[in-house]
Order: sequence, then C-alpha cells, then structure tokens
Amino acid sequence: MSPSAASAPTLAPEIADPRLYLDSIPHERFAQIRAMPGLAWHPYEDNGFWAVTRHADVRAVSRNPKVFSSAIGHTNLWDLEADALEARRSLIDTDAPDHTRLRRMVAGAFTPKNIRRWEDAVREITVELLDEFLAEGGGDWVEMVAAPLPIRVILSMLGVPVADADYLVELSNYLVEGTSDTQSLPPDAFGNTTELRLLPFNSPASHALFEYGDEMRAKRRAEPCDDLVTHLVKAEADGGRISRHEYRHLFHLLVFAGNETTRTAISHGAMALAAHPDQWQRVVDDPALIEPATEEIIRWATPVLHMRRTAAVDCELAGTPIAAGDKVVMWYASANRDEAAYTDPFRFDVGRGDNEHFAFGGGGPHLCLGAFLARLEVSVLLQEMAARRMSLEQRGEPVRMASNFVHGVLSVEMAPGGAP
Amino acid sequence: MSADLVRVAVDSERCIGGGQCEMLEPEVFLVDDDEAISSVIGSGELPRDRADVVVHRCPGAAISIVQPQRPSE
Repeated sequence: MSPSAASAPTLAPEIADPRLYLDSIPHERFAQIRAMPGLAWHPYEDNGFWAVTRHADVRAVSRNPKVFSSAIGHTNLWDLEADALEARRSLIDTDAPDHTRLRRMVAGAFTPKNIRRWEDAVREITVELLDEFLAEGGGDWVEMVAAPLPIRVILSMLGVPVADADYLVELSNYLVEGTSDTQSLPPDAFGNTTELRLLPFNSPASHALFEYGDEMRAKRRAEPCDDLVTHLVKAEADGGRISRHEYRHLFHLLVFAGNETTRTAISHGAMALAAHPDQWQRVVDDPALIEPATEEIIRWATPVLHMRRTAAVDCELAGTPIAAGDKVVMWYASANRDEAAYTDPFRFDVGRGDNEHFAFGGGGPHLCLGAFLARLEVSVLLQEMAARRMSLEQRGEPVRMASNFVHGVLSVEMAPGGAP
Repeated sequence: MSADLVRVAVDSERCIGGGQCEMLEPEVFLVDDDEAISSVIGSGELPRDRADVVVHRCPGAAISIVQPQRPSE
C-alpha cells in the first residue's frame, strides 16, 4: 500500500526500529510527530503506515472499528501472509460480530463486580511476595514481584495449578522475544513441528502454550471445576459457541496478556515510585490517592506501545486521506504523553484527576479485557507497600526489551527503604 | 446550582461487556455474569454531566441518553 494523498506525505521520524526502545520510549520523536499537521506517513519494510500519535486521533481510530478494522490485516506493524493471519487469529484480531461473541464469552468474569471477588486472593499473593522481597533485602523486582503476581492471579482464574506458574512465565518470556530482535529458541523447541510463521509471535513457545491449553481442556472435560477453562469448555460443548481454534487462542491470549502487561505496569510503577519519592510519600500519607496513583502508574507504564488497524474503506483522519487497505497504527505510547490531553504529561503525578489514559486501548471495543484485574493488582500492591511504610530504591539501570510493541522490563534491581 | 437529570439506556446488541459503565456508575449499570451484557438497574437517571462521561467512555458506543428529564431542584 502507498499513501493515498496526491501530494507527497510528510515523513515521520523513525519510530518503528525496536532498538529505539532499549533506553526508553523515543518520546522526543513522538512529540515531533504529534506536532506535524495531519497524519505522518512512516515507511516500514515493504509497506509503510500512517502514524497516529495524538490522543484524540487514537480515540477516533479505536472507536470506529467499521472503518478501522482489526480483522482485515494484522494488529501489529508487521504484515502476515493470509494463511498466517488466519492461523494466528485471536480475539484481538476480530471485528464484530465475532469479536462481540468471543468477548462476551469471557467478559463476565472480568467485570468490576466479579474482579472484586479476587481481592483477597490478590492480597494474599501480594503479601507473600512483598514479605519475601523484604526478607531478602530486595533483588530483581521483576522476578520477585512484578512477574509472579499477575501470572499467579490469572492462573488461579483459569484454574491452572500454581505449581506450573514458572513454566508459563517462561513460555511467556519466549513469546515476548518474538516481538523483539532476538529469538533464542530453536524452531523445534517444545516438540514444535508447526512452521513458525503460523504461530503467534513466530514462537515455538506458542505451540507449547497451545498444548498446555489442550491438556487443561481435556482435564476440565473429564472433571469440571469452577474456573474459566471449564467455562470455555462448556461453551465449546454447548452447540459450539466457541470453536476449537478460538479456545486455543483465547487460552493463549489470557495467559500471555494476563501476565505480561501487568508485569510491565508493576515494573515501571516501581521505577516511577523510586524516582519520585515525593509522589510515593503522598500515597503513603493519603489512602484516597491509591486509585489515582494506580491510573497514573498505568498511564506512565503504557505496557502496550502500539496496536494497528487496517482501513476497510477510503476515509479521512485529521484531514489526511487514507486509502482502503492502508495500515493505521495507534501509538498509545505517544497518546499517553499528548500535551493536548494532559497538563504536564511528562510529570508523574499520583493525584492526576480525570486521567483518561489509553494504556488499556484507545477507548474502543478492544478495550483491555483485564483492565479491572490490572487495576486491582496494582492498587493492592500499593496498599500493601503503604501499609508497610516501605519505599523502593532502584539499584542501577533496568534491562529493557528491544520491542516496539511491548514496553517490557526484563529485570530491575530494587532495594527496600524505610518510610520515604 | 441545578443539574439536569437524564435517562440512559444500553443497546444490548452493541454492548461488549467492557464494564466501564459499571465502574463509573455502579448504582445505574450492572453487567450480567453469564451474557456479559450491561443493563440499567433502577431508574436509569443520571445528572447530564455524568451521563455524558459514561456515554463517552463506553467502548462499544452502546450507551445513549434517551430522555432528558426536568431539571432537579
């Protein structure tokens, strides 16, 4: 596809190279693009994209799925061949009515009311991890707190034994590699025989996760429990409301998205609190700030950097004509720092009011399924840290991922401090 | 100061069960456990400004203001 504008499009500064994200989000480049008129065209491999960087424009794309489709092309920058797109299709890569049907299959478990039922379980896990972190005198925050907390919670919801948490975190880590420059697994890892291009994240770890989901499915068919996998197995048996393919990909998505994104939020949150002790002091002093602090951490972290849509028809956005088939990429990483949407967007402010951030998506139907779960996990963590009157001191630089999709932190050393 | 009360409604075809309405106005909206469709509980009345926020934040664009009410005292 090429830009549809008759006049030469304005070229955006390079933002797609994963290596740009090794130190930080390239905020200065995004600020330049936000300031450009209309939409900027960004060359990318054989097929460039329109860079959507302003808060209002991201919202317009996200909330107009009939024009900006999730199903026509891939939902990442890079393109997939038609058979790979089908083989890899999950809830994320659908439009209504498939999206509505699949989403409602699991959405009931993730409503505010039903997520609140998990508060005690989340608190128990959080207390265990924090006490271990304190007893050890600190260590790698990602390994000790940020990774185990969300994976243990989502596994409990799914009904997966906690003993397998480490294995599924390991698989998840390999999946994330698939969004970066490195891929450390051989193609036949975990007994995989599927062509990598047909697997999510081009990763043999996807094969392992599918296999694991199939085993869970067999177990719950034989012996139903009160968990999400049983719920999905029943939906599959009940007149085929969900296909086998859809089950496998939904299981994959729940495990991956249920741990990777919140892990990222908790990792960046810890770094933000360590870097802004005055802000953490405010939270410790005033429990009413837990809620806005949670939203600010999630905005600050922006765990998912972009999602892509594909124009279904000729259309126009921000005064720029877009041709059917063009790639339209929403950069949440930019929208969440848009000067037009936030006062002082680069200030970490735990008291920020009316924080309509786009860390859970741009406001449209693909809103993060686990948004309330992520909020619960972050807020319980803040409550328990405040109750211990502990602060965090960062030791050295974090190890970040080279990815333009996931704002991942692989490790960051933290030590506990006293009351700030 | 008076706030205009308006009545809100959910289009069950468009609802994706995202739960934003239940988060923002738990007295007015509840998402069903099984079907994951939101419905209005109680009178469905909200001050205009708060109704506007729910309409704005609904990810499925399923909530609308159906009937302006008389201004409250």
